[in-house]
Amino acid sequence: MRRILALLIGLGLSLPALAAQGPGCGAPTEWLQSPPLRAVAAGLTAGHLSILAVGTASITGAGASSPAAAWPARLEALLRDRRPDLQLRVEVRGTRGSTATDQWHEIEDALRGSAPPTLVIWQAGTTEALRSLPMEDMATTLGEGLESLHARGIDAVVMGIQFSRFLRANVDVDPYRDALRVVAAANHAGFFSRYDIMRAWAEAGTVDVERASREHRTAEIDKLNDCLARALAAFIRDGVEEARR
Amino acid sequence: MTSLVRLDRDLRVDLVRGFALWVIFVNHTPGNWLGFVTPRNYTLSDATEAFVMLAGYAAGIAYGAAMDRQGWFFAATRVMGRVFTLYVAHIFLLVVFTAQVGLSAARLDSAAYLDELHLDPFATDPYRALLEALLLRYQPSFLNILPLYIAILAMFAVAMPLMRYPRLMLALSAGLWAAARVFDITLPSWRGEDWFFNPLAWQLLFFIGCALSYRPPGGAPLSVPWRRWAGVLCGAFLGAGAVLTVMIYFHWDYTAATLPAFAPYLAAIDKASLHPLRLLTMLALTYLIAHLLPRNAAWLRSLPGRVFALMGQQALPVFCAGIALSFLARVGLEAEDTWWMQIVVNLVGAMALVGLAMLTAWYGAEKRGAPRTPRLPSPPQPDRN
Repeated sequence: MRRILALLIGLGLSLPALAAQGPGCGAPTEWLQSPPLRAVAAGLTAGHLSILAVGTASITGAGASSPAAAWPARLEALLRDRRPDLQLRVEVRGTRGSTATDQWHEIEDALRGSAPPTLVIWQAGTTEALRSLPMEDMATTLGEGLESLHARGIDAVVMGIQFSRFLRANVDVDPYRDALRVVAAANHAGFFSRYDIMRAWAEAGTVDVERASREHRTAEIDKLNDCLARALAAFIRDGVEEARR
Repeated sequence: MTSLVRLDRDLRVDLVRGFALWVIFVNHTPGNWLGFVTPRNYTLSDATEAFVMLAGYAAGIAYGAAMDRQGWFFAATRVMGRVFTLYVAHIFLLVVFTAQVGLSAARLDSAAYLDELHLDPFATDPYRALLEALLLRYQPSFLNILPLYIAILAMFAVAMPLMRYPRLMLALSAGLWAAARVFDITLPSWRGEDWFFNPLAWQLLFFIGCALSYRPPGGAPLSVPWRRWAGVLCGAFLGAGAVLTVMIYFHWDYTAATLPAFAPYLAAIDKASLHPLRLLTMLALTYLIAHLLPRNAAWLRSLPGRVFALMGQQALPVFCAGIALSFLARVGLEAEDTWWMQIVVNLVGAMALVGLAMLTAWYGAEKRGAPRTPRLPSPPQPDRN
C-alpha cells in the first residue's frame, strides 16, 4: 500500500512525465553511458553548476508548445527539482541552421562572459548532415572546440543528430553520426546519441513524433523534449558517477 | 540465363563489379539490415572504390581498343557520348529523388525539414535549383556517384592518349590526387558544400584501372608481378584495416579509452578525397584477388558467380536501376520497418537488378547476333562500360 501511495505521489510530482519507465524514459542504458564528467562532479559537490546548451533552433523549443518545453529548459527544471540547493544556471544559444563553426563562435562568446560554464552540451551535426556540408570541416571545428574546452577544464557532451525515418531515408546521416561519435570520443567528450535513443523510443512506442497525428504533434514534441531532458540527466549522472569512481 | 553471360572476358572483373553494384544498392538504402554485412563494415574502402576502379578497367579495354583502331578523336567522341548518357540518367534520377522526397515528406508530415533546412531547394528556389542541378552543382544525398563518374569520364576523354604511356599517366594522375588532397582543391558546389566525392582525387583509381587493362598495340597491360612478401603485406594491411574498421564502427569507446593517441588519426580517414588508406585498401584487395583467384576458377561459372558477372557486364543500366530502386526501398522501409519488409525490399531489389541485367544482355545479344547487312564487317563490340 505504501509503495502504491509513493508511486502515486511520484507520478503526481513528475507531471508531465513518464516516471514509471525508469530513468531516461526507458532509454537503453547502453546509450546513457558517459565518460567521466569531472567538472560537473566537482561543481555538484561545491553546489554550483553552469550549463551552456548550444545548437540549432530545436534547442530553443522550435515545434514545442513553448520555450519552457524545450529540453534545456526541462533539464534545468529536473535538476532544480532534484537539487533545490544547487546554484544552477542554464544558458541556451540556438540559431536556425547553425553549423559547428557558428556554434563554436557562440561558445567562445559565452566563454568570454563572467562565469564560464561547467558543462557545454553541444548539439552538433544536424545542419551539416542536412545540407551535405563537408564532414571534415565539421569534424575539425568540433574537435578543436572540444579540445579547447577540455584544456580549460570544462566538460563537454556532444548531442548527435535526431532520429527521423524521413531523415534516415533522405539524408546520408550515418557518416555524420559516425564522425560526431568519433570526434567526441577522441576529445574526452561524452557522446549523447540522440539518434539511437530516439530510435529506441520510436520502436518501443514511447515517443514517436513522426507517427503522431497532426493534432497531437505539439504534445508529442513536448514529450520528446521532456524525455530527452530525462535521458540527458541520466547520462550526466552516469558521467558524474564515473568521475567519482 | 547463363547463356547471356559473356564468357570471353575476365569473369573475375565482371563478378566483382556486379557485386559492387549490388552493394551500392544495399548501402544506398539506409536502414537496410544487409548494410551491416556489406564490405564497408570490415574494409576501409567500400563498393564505390571498386566501382570506380573497375569502370576504369572496363574503359581501358573498350575505349582503348577504339582509340587504337579509329583514333583518339573517335574514341573521345564515344566517351563523351557515354558521358551524355550518364548525365541524362543522373538528371532523371534527380527528378525521381525529388518526387520521392516530396512524397515522404507529405506522408510523414515532415515538411518542416524541407523548408527549415533547405533539404529540398526545389521547394524554395525551384528555378535556381534546376539550373544548379543541371550544372551538377546541386547533388542531393545519395546522388553523388554519377556526377563523380561523369566528371572522371570527361577527364578520361581528354587524357586518353596517355594510356600509351602508363607510367606517365599514373604519375600525372597521382600528382593530381596528391595536389587535390594537400591543397584541398575540389569542384565547387552551389551552397558552399563541396562535391561529396572529389573527382580530382578519385580519378586516380579510375586511371589505375585503365593502366591495368589497356593493351597497347603490340604490348601488354601494366602488370604487377606476384611476390609472396607483397601478398603477405597486403594481407596484413587488410587485416589491420579490418581491425580499424571494427574499432570505428563497433567499439569506439573502447578504442578511445585504450588508444587515445591513435584515435584522432582514425577520425581523419575521409571518403571525399579518397584517403590514402582507402586507396591502399582497394589496391591491396585488387592485388590479392588478381593473383590468388584463378582466372578460370570453377565457381566463377557457378550460378551465383554468373548472376553477379551478368550484372557486372551490364553495369550502367544496373547501376542506375540500383539507385532508382533504392529510393523505392527507402519509401518501403520508411513506411514499415519490419523484418518482412526488409525481405521484400531486398528480394525485389535483387530480382529487379538481375532481371534488368538479363533483359539488356539479351537485347544486346539480339542486336549483335542479327545484323541486317551481313556483308559488312561485324560492328565494334558495344561498350563494356
